[in-house]
Formats: sequence, C-alpha cells, structure tokens
Amino acid sequence: MKAKLLHKTLRFYLYYAVILFVIASPVFYFVIQQLYQREADDTLQLHRNEFVINILPNFSQNDVVNWNKFNRNIQLTPINTFQKDSFFTTNYYDSLEAELEPYRVLNSTIVLDGKFYQFSSKFNLVENEDIIRNIFLLFLGILLLLVLGILFITKIFSVSLWQPFYRALDQIEAFEIDKSFTYTEIQSSVAEFDRLNNSVKKLIEKNLLIYQNQKEFIENAAHELQTPLAVFKAKVDALMQYPDLKEEHYAIINSINDNVSKLFRINKNLLLLSKIENNSYQQSESISLIGALSKNIEFFKEQAAAKQIQIETSYASDITLNANTVLLDILISNLFLNAIKYNLQNGFIRISIANNILFFDNDGMDKALRKELLFKRFSMQNVGENSSGLGLSIIKKITDLYQWTIDYQYKDGYHQFKVRF
Amino acid sequence: MLPLGMKILIIEDEKDLAMSISQFLSEHDFLCEWVSTRESALDKIGIYEYDCILLDLMLPDGNGFDILKAIRSQNKLEGVIIISAKDTLETRIEGLQMGADDFLIKPFHISELMVRIQALIRRRKFSGSNRLVFNEIEVDYFEKLIFVHQKPVDFTKKETDLLFYLISNKNRVLSKNAIAEHLSGDMADMLDNHDFVYAHIKNLKKKLMQAGAGDYIKSVYGLGYKWEYES
Repeated sequence: MKAKLLHKTLRFYLYYAVILFVIASPVFYFVIQQLYQREADDTLQLHRNEFVINILPNFSQNDVVNWNKFNRNIQLTPINTFQKDSFFTTNYYDSLEAELEPYRVLNSTIVLDGKFYQFSSKFNLVENEDIIRNIFLLFLGILLLLVLGILFITKIFSVSLWQPFYRALDQIEAFEIDKSFTYTEIQSSVAEFDRLNNSVKKLIEKNLLIYQNQKEFIENAAHELQTPLAVFKAKVDALMQYPDLKEEHYAIINSINDNVSKLFRINKNLLLLSKIENNSYQQSESISLIGALSKNIEFFKEQAAAKQIQIETSYASDITLNANTVLLDILISNLFLNAIKYNLQNGFIRISIANNILFFDNDGMDKALRKELLFKRFSMQNVGENSSGLGLSIIKKITDLYQWTIDYQYKDGYHQFKVRF
Repeated sequence: MLPLGMKILIIEDEKDLAMSISQFLSEHDFLCEWVSTRESALDKIGIYEYDCILLDLMLPDGNGFDILKAIRSQNKLEGVIIISAKDTLETRIEGLQMGADDFLIKPFHISELMVRIQALIRRRKFSGSNRLVFNEIEVDYFEKLIFVHQKPVDFTKKETDLLFYLISNKNRVLSKNAIAEHLSGDMADMLDNHDFVYAHIKNLKKKLMQAGAGDYIKSVYGLGYKWEYES
C-alpha cells in the first residue's frame, strides 16, 4: 500500500525534526557552555584586575598569610619565576557539599615587594551548570513544542486544504464512460485545484462527447447498412434464380450468401449493443430464470441436435430476476449460441443453477480461452466462421447493465461460463 | 394457389429494393405498383384497391405510420406489411397496434417476404379457410394440417412451416440461409446452422415420400433447395 500524500509530508517533517534534535542538541549545549566559560574567565580576570588596582598598592608580604587565611577564592603563593596567565578548569573538594565540584581557575603572576607571587583565583561552576542544563531543557522543550505544533497544524490544515483534490479524485474514480455522469464542480480557493477542476471537467466532458459521437456513429452506420443489405440480399436472390447457372456459379453465390449473412449478423448485433447502451430496454419485470431457460431450450435443442450435441439441465433452485424479458432472452440465447457454436460434434452441454449462479458448461477445444480478450468486441480467438465476434460482448453488456457478473473458466476439459446474479 | 393478379402496392423509397421486390412478385403473377413518397402513396390508396401493401416506415416526405393511419381510417381491407430498417420493440408494437398485419425487418430474404404476403392475403381475403393446394398435397397453414391424397399426414410444426414456405416459393432456389432464417425467426440466423436445415429437409422429404407424394424438393448444388414443378 502506498503512503498517503499527507503522511508522506508529515514523515519528512518528522525526519527533519529528529535530525535537528540529534545535531542541534550537543551543538547548543557546547555553545552555551563555551559562552558561560568565557563569562567565568571574564569574572576571574576582573577579580585579578580589581586586586591589582585596588588592593595591591597597600598590600605587603606580611598581609599574604592573613589574606590567604580569610580568602577562600583568591590565594597568593610565592613563586620563583614569572608565569603567563593561565585559565583552566579543575575539581576541588567542597567540604560544605562534601563532594568534588568543578571550578574555573585563573593563575596569574603578580609582583609584591619585588617578589613573584602566584595569584590564583577560582570560580565555582556548579550553579552555572545548573543554569545551562535548565536553559538546555527549556530549549529542547520549545523545539519539541514547535515540531509537534507544526505536525499537528499540517495534519489539520492539510486535510481541509487537500479536500478539493480528494473530491476531484473521487469523481474521477467514479467516472465510467458508458454510464451517464455529471461532474460536480469543486469550489476551491487554491489556484492549482482550480486548474485541476477545470482540466478534469474538460477531460470528462470531452470524453463523454467523443464516446457519444462514436456511439451514434456506430448506430447510424449500422442502421444505414440495413437497406443496402436488403437490396444486396434481394439481388443475390434474384441472381440465384437464373436457370442456366453452372455449378461453379452456385459455389460463388453460396459464399456470397454466407458472407452477407455474416455481415447481417454483425450489423444486427452492433445495433443490439447500441440499443442496450442507449437504455432502450428499460422496462423490467420479475422473471423466473428456469422459465426463461425453458422457453428457449426447445429451439436450441433442435439446433444442437444437428451437431449431435446433448443438452442436460440440472436446476437446484430457481432464481427470480428483475430484468427486461427481451434482454434476458438475448442473454440466454447468446449463452446457448456460444455453447453450441464452439462445441464439438457429439459434444455435451450442461446447464445448471446453484447458489444464485447460472452455469453453462460445454465441450470444446482442449485449451482455455484467453479471458482478458473474451468479452471484447471482435476479438475472435476461437474457430468459428459464423462468429460475429459480438456474442460475448452482448452477454457482458447485459450482465453489466444489471450488475451481474459473467465469468469464464476452463475446468476438467469443459469450458464454463457462469453468470452470478 | 392464390388467384392470379393479386395487386400489391410497394411503398419504398429505396429504388433498388423496390425494383427487386417488384420484379420478384411479378414473376409470381402479382401485379405491382411502386411509389416512393408518402404523398404519392396516399394518392394511390385513395383511388385504388390493393390486396396487400408493403410499407416502408421511413419515407423522404414523412412517416409511414401516417399512411397506415390513412388506410385504416378508410376502412380498407388491404393487408399491410411493414418493412423497416428500424427494429425496436416500440416500433413493432406501434405498427401492429395501428393495424399493420406483419412486420419484416430489413434486410430480409425475398422468399420470406413472399411467404408472408401469401399468408397475409390468404388470411384477409379468404378468412384463413383457403388451403394451399399443390397437386396431391394440401396445406392448411392456419390449422397446421397437411393432407396428401386427401389423407392427413403427421408433420411437426417446423415441417409444416417449411412445406408452406417451399410451396409458396415454388420453382425458386432458396438458399439455406434463407430457409434457416425462416424456420428459426429472430434468433436463429445467429447460428447459421446448415445441418439444421438439412435435417428438416430430409425428414420432410421422407414423410412426403412415405405418404405417396411426388419428390418435388431438389437440392441445388449445396446452395440450397428448390420446390420444382413443371406444369
């Protein structure tokens, strides 16, 4: 299953948020710490400068002991050489808290009474670490809220934003060219959706028009052919009556006759298809399926007998259909025709009803027919000079009209057509 | 047989078809007149009497139904056969309700038209009591009875139908397609089953022979059959 558009957008937001968290968190932490450390260093530097400016001029070597005694954070130690100022972080034992605590320390050299002293000032970092942590957590919290907010808003907003798109999609899905269809315009404030709306509307209207034209063309063409065909038949008939025709003439006329019959059949079926498409058979009534089968079976038994085909029926139960009588007769006749036409000499036909399904099983060639081509017009894949190539299309058309389903399978050497009502 | 000189009016705008029908019917001793428009048809009907009218529904200057209405409003006895390219249930029902006697869809076999005309005239003019007599054979089409040498012979409905069709079209070559279409009506021409025709012809021949009738049915080089009689 493919991801929905919205989920896809959200997923990318989520990826971005996770990456942002993973990268930004340590960077943020590090930067804050650096900033704070610099602040600590500035403070230490300030302490030293204050000492040098305010205290050192009145300070003597004798004061060092007392200074060191009362000043925990600034200690003075005599050293031999001048050393450059150095900042570093180290841990000291805090007797109040009874644990090691981080300190920032400045070691600087001052000159007292001509001697070098190391001025060592320290700054407790503990409180500041707390602040850093709090700031960091706050930052994370805000970031999280931001991401969640974006996701939430996107979700809520997208649903309504994409609404016109989904409505257009639904209509395209529901569109069937051979059914009547009215496109409901989609109201939207988005330019792209307006474009979509117009394009879909145009596309559908154009297709319907073309289809309608084509339908009318087929119907008119078939109609117009009827009269010339009648003339043609009459002329052939007249030709046949000439007394001095030779055997080879009869052979030609015979072939003309067969072909004109075939032409007529095709034409008749095309007209029938057009009529079904134009809903010419709207009246429906409730009909017993067994009744309809029985009405037709005598005629087809006679036809089948010419090929020595046996017809067997087994009806488990009757089905009452609400359909047009003419169409049902055409459906049944075409099933019969199909079963007889493609049958073998001395073949077999079994007609049965079970579980709301009508089955037509018949003998035929030892090969399954290609299902995907079966119900298409003129896809004659079977032997059969007499085939108009339309019989199965007619069956399909009628079953579609009533929302029945026609199915085919080749099973145990039988070709089986089944109509589920 | 029918008396000679039955009058037929052909109302059909397709000249070729009208000529073919006219030629064919003339050969069978019918007197034919042909008109191609609604107006001329109405003129003819107003003046003359016909035994049968063949009516095309789509005419250049109007609908064939108008003509049908005119005929029926004048209380004329003419039988009317509609010959139409338009085959819808509504047209059929409308035509028959307006008083047409028969309905034939184009394209049809001319032999089929022949048998319909004969049946129609027989029914209207002779109240259906007239039997089709051919030498030793008599066919009562409406009672579905066949007599050979005045004795009833048992034929199936299809065989009776076939015999009537053959005799009505005597001395004409009838193609197997035409016979199949005649025997099986609307649907059967979809099958084109020549074996089916052959089986019926064979049975008919056999029964006629057994009843002592002559052998009039001739096979014509695989093309079809012919009821042959030289008087």
